[in-house]
Amino acid sequence: MRYLLIPIFLLLTSCFEEPLYHSQSYVFGTLVDISIYGEPDARARSLANQVLQDFQQLHDRLHAWKPISAGKPSEIGQLNATFEAGSQPISIQPDLATMLADAKLLSIKSEGLFNPAIGHLIGAWGFQRDEFGAVKIDDEKIKSLVNAKPSMEDIVLEEHTAYSKNRAVKLDLGGYAKGYALDYAAQYLRQTGVKNALINIGGNIIAIGQHGNKAWRIGIQHPRAPTAIATVDLPDGWAVGTSGDYQRYFTLNGKRYCHIIDPRTGYPVQHTQAVTVLVPPQATQETQAGVLSDVASKPIFIESAENKSTAAQAFGIDNFMVIDAKGQIFVSKRMVNKLNWLSTDVKFTTIQ
Amino acid sequence: MLNSPRFSNLFTLPKQLCKELLIGDWLIVLTGILGIVLLFQTLWTNEHAAKVQIRLGDKIYATYSLNQQREIHVHGPIGTATISIAQGKARFAKSPCHNQYCVHQGWLTRAGQAAICLPNQISLELLGETKPYDSLNY
Repeated sequence: MRYLLIPIFLLLTSCFEEPLYHSQSYVFGTLVDISIYGEPDARARSLANQVLQDFQQLHDRLHAWKPISAGKPSEIGQLNATFEAGSQPISIQPDLATMLADAKLLSIKSEGLFNPAIGHLIGAWGFQRDEFGAVKIDDEKIKSLVNAKPSMEDIVLEEHTAYSKNRAVKLDLGGYAKGYALDYAAQYLRQTGVKNALINIGGNIIAIGQHGNKAWRIGIQHPRAPTAIATVDLPDGWAVGTSGDYQRYFTLNGKRYCHIIDPRTGYPVQHTQAVTVLVPPQATQETQAGVLSDVASKPIFIESAENKSTAAQAFGIDNFMVIDAKGQIFVSKRMVNKLNWLSTDVKFTTIQ
Repeated sequence: MLNSPRFSNLFTLPKQLCKELLIGDWLIVLTGILGIVLLFQTLWTNEHAAKVQIRLGDKIYATYSLNQQREIHVHGPIGTATISIAQGKARFAKSPCHNQYCVHQGWLTRAGQAAICLPNQISLELLGETKPYDSLNY
């Protein structure tokens, strides 16, 4: 009888406690949520803490406007100061050089719609502040900032040095750094032998393995309601990213001005509420899934309705969803079967 | 019945248990155990009363039942936020943050819904019988 009871107790306890470690922290200027499945709690905690520390360091180094401490600019801040002063090359960290080379390539691929060189424009709209609010829109200033044509192609990278051929270039890696951090964390956790984890940095998510015997399940935020609109299962190595007009915005005279700026016009995009992309694992030498999930949603968000599919194709994105300013939903053919709608009355149009 | 020879030895001689129990007895024991497991699963792990979990920074601040009328004051890094609970729903009623995104989120009513105040590092999440997803993409 005793021998019969032991498996029953094991069965009972396994019903209640699954080996899932979950932590939430505010680093990287946003909410970071890490789940690790199948590791002892203490080990999971120490690994998650290491990841969070590395995120904080990366955040400080790459911050577009905040110095690390008084008189000590971030690496990006230092680089921007050099760009503005003239074309003297300065040496940069090897990993930053890799990031910039990658961002340059992606910017060219997107025909400049993903453009981390428009820091001055983002600043002019007031988004380079922790507490931003409605700004007085200076059309003349915006025009001159656009006409200065800051581009990633102006940045010259040689042997871990960088300079810019255009003084108007000001780097803001806000649309790249979270994706980079996702890839970094995924690689780190895999190297330490973690088989199953889910990392969420400010809404951008990458999956390792799965949640027990099921895939990791993600909720996709409704752009105008405090709820998820659909769920999607994220297989091993996949990443998901959303660009939305509801994350950073201000309203002025009843109009919404979001932080996603069309580099061609210099004005915030107003025809789209949200774009979500699902990205499969990429080949080792290519841009990784985390970065792609962060970057690829932007050009699709910025492009007009008829060009959105082309913008997706430029990055080889097959799975994406668009919600336009009227709340109409468009889903790519490949994505349709992956989405589980959370309410029964959702209407959508299949595209591509 | 307890005086019958089959049962009188039952408590004093546990080793005889296996020999004494017939197939029908085993079936009753197994059905009982199965019933208990099922009851545990439905009544214990799945809470019927929905709750709201408040997180402050990287800690769980508190979890409250939604079946009450109540205001909770949470002291975050930039000031005090007021969270209202009213019969099955919860919301940020007041927040010291600049943009008030958290307050504009309005009432949370369904399990899995969440509101986050980034500047004040406070989040609300409604907990229900099952978690609809592992993490939220936004």
